[in-house]
Amino acid sequence: MREQSPDMATEISGLNKWYGSFHVLKDIDLTVAAGSRIVICGPSGSGKSTLIRCINGLETYQGGSIALGGVKLGDNAKETTLARRDTGMVFQSFNLFPHLTVLSNCTLALRRVLKMSRRQAEDIALHYLEKVRIPEQAKKYPAQLSGGQQQRVAIARALCLSPRLMLFDEPTSALDPEMIKEVLDVMVSLASEGMTMLCVTHEMGFAREVADQVIFMDQGRIVEQARPDIFFGAPSHARAQQFLEKILH
Amino acid sequence: MSIFDIWLGILQGLDVTATVTGYGLLFAVPFALIFGVAQYLAKGAVLFAVTCIIEFWRSSAVIILLFVFYYALPVVGLMLSAVTVSAMVLGLNIGGYASQAVRAGLQSLDRGQKEAGQALGLSRSMILLLIELPQALVAMSPTFVNHFIQLVKATALVSLVTLTDMTFRAKEIAQIEYNPVGIYTSLLLAYFVVCYPIAILGRLLEARISSGRELARGL
Repeated sequence: MREQSPDMATEISGLNKWYGSFHVLKDIDLTVAAGSRIVICGPSGSGKSTLIRCINGLETYQGGSIALGGVKLGDNAKETTLARRDTGMVFQSFNLFPHLTVLSNCTLALRRVLKMSRRQAEDIALHYLEKVRIPEQAKKYPAQLSGGQQQRVAIARALCLSPRLMLFDEPTSALDPEMIKEVLDVMVSLASEGMTMLCVTHEMGFAREVADQVIFMDQGRIVEQARPDIFFGAPSHARAQQFLEKILH
Repeated sequence: MSIFDIWLGILQGLDVTATVTGYGLLFAVPFALIFGVAQYLAKGAVLFAVTCIIEFWRSSAVIILLFVFYYALPVVGLMLSAVTVSAMVLGLNIGGYASQAVRAGLQSLDRGQKEAGQALGLSRSMILLLIELPQALVAMSPTFVNHFIQLVKATALVSLVTLTDMTFRAKEIAQIEYNPVGIYTSLLLAYFVVCYPIAILGRLLEARISSGRELARGL
């Protein structure tokens, strides 16, 4: 047994998941230390999104274990709910609540889950909306914003709960090219503030700049895990080489 | 008897029509919400039971339900007034239809909405009440107006269980004076006069929702 230090963010060991007979995650072992920034890449269907969705309980798994900050994720609902508060999730398609204003999107969980007063919740929400450089849009509805703005709101919404770990599931894949940068800029500044991040993305420039580890997944396995300079310089697996050749043109 | 007198005679039944409609809503709205949500959330045996109850009320002929409950309940010792039985039968029948609108509205929401709620640590009931139902009910409200109109029109059947609603009054007048064309045309118009404003209301609602959507789309 490894010792679990209190600052250890996330420990995944022996994770296995099946969709019916399809073995989607195979013996995943991964430690995400506090403050680390890990980028996961790989071809579609390799299980990268499924992996990070397991970490906050959006997907169930059949084997192995996940521990957040030393607390093992149980299969009871209460523990899962608590674990979710420790992780922030940013989705590919933003998933903002269209019937609520930007501000209400951000304050919803603060008020209903953490039972804060409206005033207190709005102060926190505005703080994070400023952080993602969008405080002037607070009173608007999500669909009045551009995709890039919506995704920044989604990041702010996740940050409001002060998560220990931020999960990003292809946060820029649904965006027009000219909006990708504004979202990546926010993520870079988050990283520079020491946020622990686990990010599924194909933005290799971001990976180079920000990641301290790059993970390459293929067919449900972690095939390669390396520092970005090593990964991009000389990946040791043929599959990773092929992938990089395609994605870097 | 002038057409004006016929009209006045028919309108004497308006209060019963309105009463049955009003009480009918008291059955229809809770039934639609509870059973529509239950069908959306439940699994296994509970889902089967919920579906059976909905289908019973939705797939039975209203007039037969009316007779069965009006004549059969006293046999088992349950004495309910004709108004109560009528409101219950009509309300639950329409509620059965409306429950399907509730369920469909919930099912048509993007799965990401629920997941975003889960990721924020909201409980299942909070996700339902704060995220799913508000969106589904707004989207479905034009359908609910349709069902409301259906309910008003369905109350014409209560004349068959002794209630003196507008239809019953028309039949009474028809027995006093032989003028079926005048009387039943007046009756037709009477229901139209009651239902059309509701339809207009529904259209306004629909316009507001779609303009809200346009606003949401950024115009």
